[in-house]
Amino acid sequence: MTLFVTDNAPVIVQGMTGHQGMTHTARMLKAGTNILGGVNARKAGQVVELPDATGAVRKLPVFANCTEARQATGAEASVVFVPPRFAKGAIIEAIEAGIPLIVVITEGIPVADTAYCVAYAMRKGVRIVGPNCPGLATFGETPDSKGTNLGIIPDGIVKRGPLGLVSKSGTLTYQLMGELSDIGFTAALGAGGDPIVGTTLLEAVQMYADDDNTKGVVMIGEIGGNAEQEVAEWARTHMTKPLVAYIAGFTAPEGKQMGHAGAIVSGGKGSAADKKQALEAVGIPVGRTPGQTAQIMRKILTDRGII
Amino acid sequence: MDLYEYQGRQLFMEKGIPVPEGIYALTAEEAGEAADKIGYPCVIKGQAKIGHRGQAGAVKIANNHDEAVALAERILPMEVRGHKVHGVLVCEAANILHEYYVSISVDRTSRDYDVLATAAGGTEVEEIARKHPEYVKRLHIDPYKDFTLADAKVMAEQIGFYHADNDQAAEILLKMWQTFKDNDATLVEINPLAKIGDPNDESSKMLCALDSKVSLDGNAAFRHDGWKRFDDTTGEDPLELRAKAHGLHYVRLNGQVGVIGNGAGLVMSSLDAVADAAEQQGTDIKPANFLDIGGGASAEVMAECLSIVLADPNVRDVFVNVYGGITSCQLVAEGILEALKAIERTAPIIVRFDGNAAAEGLETLENAHNDSIVVARTMEEAAAEAARIAAELENAQFSDATKEGENL
Repeated sequence: MTLFVTDNAPVIVQGMTGHQGMTHTARMLKAGTNILGGVNARKAGQVVELPDATGAVRKLPVFANCTEARQATGAEASVVFVPPRFAKGAIIEAIEAGIPLIVVITEGIPVADTAYCVAYAMRKGVRIVGPNCPGLATFGETPDSKGTNLGIIPDGIVKRGPLGLVSKSGTLTYQLMGELSDIGFTAALGAGGDPIVGTTLLEAVQMYADDDNTKGVVMIGEIGGNAEQEVAEWARTHMTKPLVAYIAGFTAPEGKQMGHAGAIVSGGKGSAADKKQALEAVGIPVGRTPGQTAQIMRKILTDRGII
Repeated sequence: MDLYEYQGRQLFMEKGIPVPEGIYALTAEEAGEAADKIGYPCVIKGQAKIGHRGQAGAVKIANNHDEAVALAERILPMEVRGHKVHGVLVCEAANILHEYYVSISVDRTSRDYDVLATAAGGTEVEEIARKHPEYVKRLHIDPYKDFTLADAKVMAEQIGFYHADNDQAAEILLKMWQTFKDNDATLVEINPLAKIGDPNDESSKMLCALDSKVSLDGNAAFRHDGWKRFDDTTGEDPLELRAKAHGLHYVRLNGQVGVIGNGAGLVMSSLDAVADAAEQQGTDIKPANFLDIGGGASAEVMAECLSIVLADPNVRDVFVNVYGGITSCQLVAEGILEALKAIERTAPIIVRFDGNAAAEGLETLENAHNDSIVVARTMEEAAAEAARIAAELENAQFSDATKEGENL
């Protein structure tokens, strides 16, 4: 079955011609992602040439808008690298073009813009991942497929395996993938560090729970909001697969934003201690460090004979 | 970004939400003049970005000029639970007949806007919500739809402004929404939204915002001229300001181990690892700061980061924790060595690299034979080492200080 996106799905990149867009388009292509073009109204008609995973040069047309890009490429996913002030327009364009999966990497989008886009996407049955996230990487539906890398998650850290990962943080995602690289993953999804995101920790956990190939789930949370508590509440009665969590920010002081827009303990709410307590209360182990979190997962998988 | 009451009030006035007459004053003398203009009795309200100012004694009633000046003199130097008072708002004292609480905020869970309201206003709404959830109404505004006067009327009806005019309540709800939306706020709270007036004169009764609590979305500053009019750096940490000027996110804490890393999550995790290691070592060493170096880690950025972290005199050593995703650890290593040449103060730097070019980066550091660089293999090991070295240096300094004391 398909987790988030089908193998070899056609992909476009919004903001492909910018510095970030270009760097990561080249990297995603090398990782095996089937990128077929980009969008930039001011550079429509240009062609960007980049090597793909086989080393062959791909000619990527720049389209004027998402509708044209979708018509020409049949894009099933778009990766957005557009700067914050233009991000809302870019996401609306992708939704209206009927692209079913929009992965938004951009950090710094006003929360009102995200709220509008997420509400619109939900009405249209479109999935947004992010914003302010490292993206989504799948590692193939079959043992020999390469999977799809949408965003900035480095390829080459892990191979295909039985774990699913969802995280509010980029570098901690890579860290945990690194720690469990020998076991491997079905997919890694960066939910993002903003107060409102298109795919919550809970939605990602639910999708892993429904995926036959995923045998265990690693969740990386952090201070702010109660997305982790929502997972705990749901998992209490629904989760049958092993779920292990890590929470960052035990030492974060009240009222201080710790880097991510959403990472703030306010009015005594959203602390790491509360999240840990809620998760442990329903039997979800919470690791003290990323390393220990990986060890716990490794032991559970071994005990259950999964690895 | 939180606003002071007097600033939030300004936004209310711009949208036509009724507020009592008020003048902002920075000195006791100005407060006395303001009170004379407003008339007596009046309220002297210390301005601090924190709730419960009244309980802390920062809000008082003055009955004459001398009282107004004396109260302002007492309130102006105050600190309310760590938040410095910055000026006073001198307000006309209103005759309160009934108090409501209304707020609009971003709801992370339902991914829309939350309207929280209770007719039992004036005090802590969380308290009421816990003890009497039935008194608190929680309604939602859909981010995709517009919120109109008709919607506001339905909402006012649902909330039940039993002691007030429903149409005026609806007007205020609509204007609160406009304040929220047009200013890219994440919170607009009125507590209390009070019914004021002469109990014997129906025509004098009206709803009025007796306080304001407004938070603005920092990510939206670009479309509000950077909110220059609300610029206020008083009470902000000078190192946090310096980091902000360089586009770095630095949060000062009260510990001894400086922390630099890439990615907000990894840096938070590093702080936790230091605190955890110190606890296991039985010391009270703590992380000194949060500093996210972000995606790039050039020599200049690394030099600025180390310089900011070492400018905190409490810092004994620095833990640099980098996971090379796209960033190459080799470049970070070169950045650290360059940075060490450029900065004056040195301290032990405990480095842990993982990911892209981690081995090369560590080798570069080892080959530099710089005494102040300590290389660790894992994050846990590095955190433990950083906590241990900081404790040693802290003890050494303490015994030096004791010796000096004995020599005197």
